[in-house]
Amino acid sequence: MEPLDHHKGENPSILFFLWLTLVLIAILAIGLAWRQLIDRDAFEVIEKRQTERRILKPGPRGDIYDRRGRLLVGNRPHYSAVVYLDDLRPEFRSQYSKELKKARAEIEATYLTASPEARPQTPPLPNYYKLQWKARQEVIQKYLDQINAITGRNDRLTETRLIRHFNENLLLPLPLVRDLTPDQYARLVEQIPPPPNSPIQIHTDTARYYPYHELAAHLLGYVQNKNLAPDEFPSDGIKTFAFQKKVGRSGLEAFFNETLTGTTGSELWRVDPLGFQDTRLELQAPKQGQALNISIDIDLQRAAETTLGNRAGAAVAIDIRTGEILALASHPNYNQNHLSPFIPQKTFDAINEAGAWLNRALQLSYPPGSTFKILTAIAGMRNGSITLDTAHNCRGVYRVGNRIFRCHARNGHGSVQLTDAIEASCNVFFYAEGLDMGIDTLSTEAQRFGFHEKTGIEVPYETSRNIVPTKSWKREKIGSGWVPGDTANTSIGQGFLLATPLQMACFMASVARDETRTQPTILTRSTLNPKPIEHGGEPIGLNPRQRAHLWQGMEQVTGRQGTGRLVGIDNFRIAGKTGTADFRAHGKEVNLAWFIGFAPVEDPQIAVAIMVEGTEESHAYHGGSTAGPIAKDIFLEFIRQYPERAGRLPPP
Amino acid sequence: MAKLRLDRLKPLVALAAFLFLWWILPAAVKSFTRLNLSEFHAPAWLITDKIDQLSNFWAARNHSKIELLEAGRDLARTNARYQILAQRYQNLEKEIERLESLLDLPPQQEYHHEIARVVRRDLNAWWQEIIIRKGRDYEIPIGAAVIFSGGIVGRVIEVNAYSSRVELISSPRFRMAASFDGDSRPVVYQGRIQSGFVAPRGEVSDVPQDLMTTSRKPLSLVSNQLGGTFPAGLKIGTVPWLAPGSTGIFQTGAVELDKRLHELKEVTVLIPLILPENVAHAN
Repeated sequence: MEPLDHHKGENPSILFFLWLTLVLIAILAIGLAWRQLIDRDAFEVIEKRQTERRILKPGPRGDIYDRRGRLLVGNRPHYSAVVYLDDLRPEFRSQYSKELKKARAEIEATYLTASPEARPQTPPLPNYYKLQWKARQEVIQKYLDQINAITGRNDRLTETRLIRHFNENLLLPLPLVRDLTPDQYARLVEQIPPPPNSPIQIHTDTARYYPYHELAAHLLGYVQNKNLAPDEFPSDGIKTFAFQKKVGRSGLEAFFNETLTGTTGSELWRVDPLGFQDTRLELQAPKQGQALNISIDIDLQRAAETTLGNRAGAAVAIDIRTGEILALASHPNYNQNHLSPFIPQKTFDAINEAGAWLNRALQLSYPPGSTFKILTAIAGMRNGSITLDTAHNCRGVYRVGNRIFRCHARNGHGSVQLTDAIEASCNVFFYAEGLDMGIDTLSTEAQRFGFHEKTGIEVPYETSRNIVPTKSWKREKIGSGWVPGDTANTSIGQGFLLATPLQMACFMASVARDETRTQPTILTRSTLNPKPIEHGGEPIGLNPRQRAHLWQGMEQVTGRQGTGRLVGIDNFRIAGKTGTADFRAHGKEVNLAWFIGFAPVEDPQIAVAIMVEGTEESHAYHGGSTAGPIAKDIFLEFIRQYPERAGRLPPP
Repeated sequence: MAKLRLDRLKPLVALAAFLFLWWILPAAVKSFTRLNLSEFHAPAWLITDKIDQLSNFWAARNHSKIELLEAGRDLARTNARYQILAQRYQNLEKEIERLESLLDLPPQQEYHHEIARVVRRDLNAWWQEIIIRKGRDYEIPIGAAVIFSGGIVGRVIEVNAYSSRVELISSPRFRMAASFDGDSRPVVYQGRIQSGFVAPRGEVSDVPQDLMTTSRKPLSLVSNQLGGTFPAGLKIGTVPWLAPGSTGIFQTGAVELDKRLHELKEVTVLIPLILPENVAHAN
């Protein structure tokens, strides 16, 4: 018998197992094929979700330039020293094992060598979790100390910060030191070896940079760091980490946020089972946002803000033809560079306390005072109540019913006609005319000039609290009937009337253009387009003689005898109106100094509105002496920068 | 057959024995050996260099008297030109001193210089180093800047008794803060892996977007003194192109270094008169 003969022949039980095995193998093969070929897509998705991680990096924001191409807001390098925790894993392990040995040695020294009676109830086993974090913290602190030695800083890494970073942003670099100065940055670059010889990396990001510091702070606005919104994350289920993006919080940064925001870039990484980076699979570089060219001229802006100084107030200069804002200042202000890359609490509190967050040019409305007399004059002339011969005798007081209304000239101005009334800002003339035409005519005219509406400028948070009082308005809001005294007050820009400095600048531009509306814009309009710009209004409706009469009165304001004589500039004709209004603010009765005007009279190019807000009862502010010099400096700067438009040079 | 196989194993056995011996050696001996490896090597490098110099000397002796006279005349002219430049330099130094005192500026970091011969070049894709013939005997510190007539050579990374190791700016491990000529904003220069037979190159990063360059009129990259190692204004190289970087705002570009960098025979070591405190820490 041969050795293998006993395997010959058919054994039914073996055959059964043979078939059973074959069937099982077939089931496995079919299952495998099913998984590999049919369920492939589903598994691919699961595999991707398990092994891939995405990092999103928002693009830098676009720059903002003034009308002559000067950089107003840019991005400056923001240097940090960072470590990728992945690079430190071997050191974490080694340090952890050292910590563990130390802990065990301590146990041996204290617990095991103690007598059984002295041993505590529960054995003092080391807390492995805490030891792990301690080891990680010590390793990172070692590198931080190296940075401290080079830069002369004294930064410490807290365990809480480390744990938070580990749990929330494991794939992102851990910042050891932020906002390094260029000097510190250069030292670190030179004295810390580049990777892989040192795990410390010098990370360059961007922070918003404002080369002119406080200038146009409210207009330009500021940004704040913000986490990406859930809808900004791709919906493919891959776990995604994101750097913070910068979002405009105020001013143009907020209004044009979408334009300025850059395109987010992304990196796709394959990670190991512990979640650390392994291989980069994809890189899409972030792109900078679009640049914005605005209509501001930084020289005019500087002129306005320098003279405004430490006082609270606002100044607006506007191009009469196009409605482009040439300067828009609000004080008190703040240095935006102190808010970038983040707002320290101390800075926030200081700005808050000074009331500097508010843009007084358009976020607050004030009684326009005597500057409103120009509108009263227009309403009267259109109404027919004011003619070129209309005169009133000013004795310093005016009786309306039982109330006495005063003129600022105690002894009165005597007999005044319109031009003299504007020049001397005679209240009595306008009380009489206001009462003659009535509040309905006056408020309708004010509404025709858009005093009851927002201007619609592309700057956020423009107030809607612009009041043109009417009889129905008073009944609804105050709950009492209209009295003649209210009309008298309104006719000189007091009472319930409220307007913003921006509105007053638009009003002046409209008067200069002989239209009722001016659509202000902060964006540059092409100077090459000679076509008139549609501002949405209509002609004022004064005949040439009436208009000349009005303008003559306004020009006399800045003449030798006028209330705005401090604005006057030799060989430069300015039409304007001063105003001093009473105002209740900060719980006190304070006064407001106003000046509105345009120039040059023969070919109007620029209109201004200045408002200086008294913050103390002792502030004796007057339109001519307080607001006037600011307007003068703006006009002087305009002559310097645009001599041909100011009529100082023959046209080319 | 078996005997032959054992014979073949002899080198492996020897290697294993050596490794075992190295393994059981006390740590202090190992550390000493590692640290002083260069000291053991240095005499051999010096001898090689001296022989090289000697051969050059004998080669030079073969020049005719006419050639020597012409060379002497050229040298005299060059000396005269340098004397004028030295005089101008002295005047400029006085002017700088005057302006410093006028503007109440802190004096600039001052250096004294040591000229040293290059005795060995260790150039490969991963690191680029030279050995120079001066060391602790001339008080050369670690981190000192090394320059030549074409600009920056590198930085001293190791100092021995009579020699020093200098990492070249072309080495991928070399990084420094730099600026473009006429622009004060700091950028980062770093050497990179070199491919043979072409001029050495590096790369520059964190370059502001508004800087533009062309291969016809390349920007010049120079040192700035913010990093504390190099005086300001020393040439690093030229940047013929810049491309958008991964940040979306800064550019990166290639830096063409001086072609003579890998053929230097003599260099100058700048030794700060006052050593920065953190030099020792950093290295």
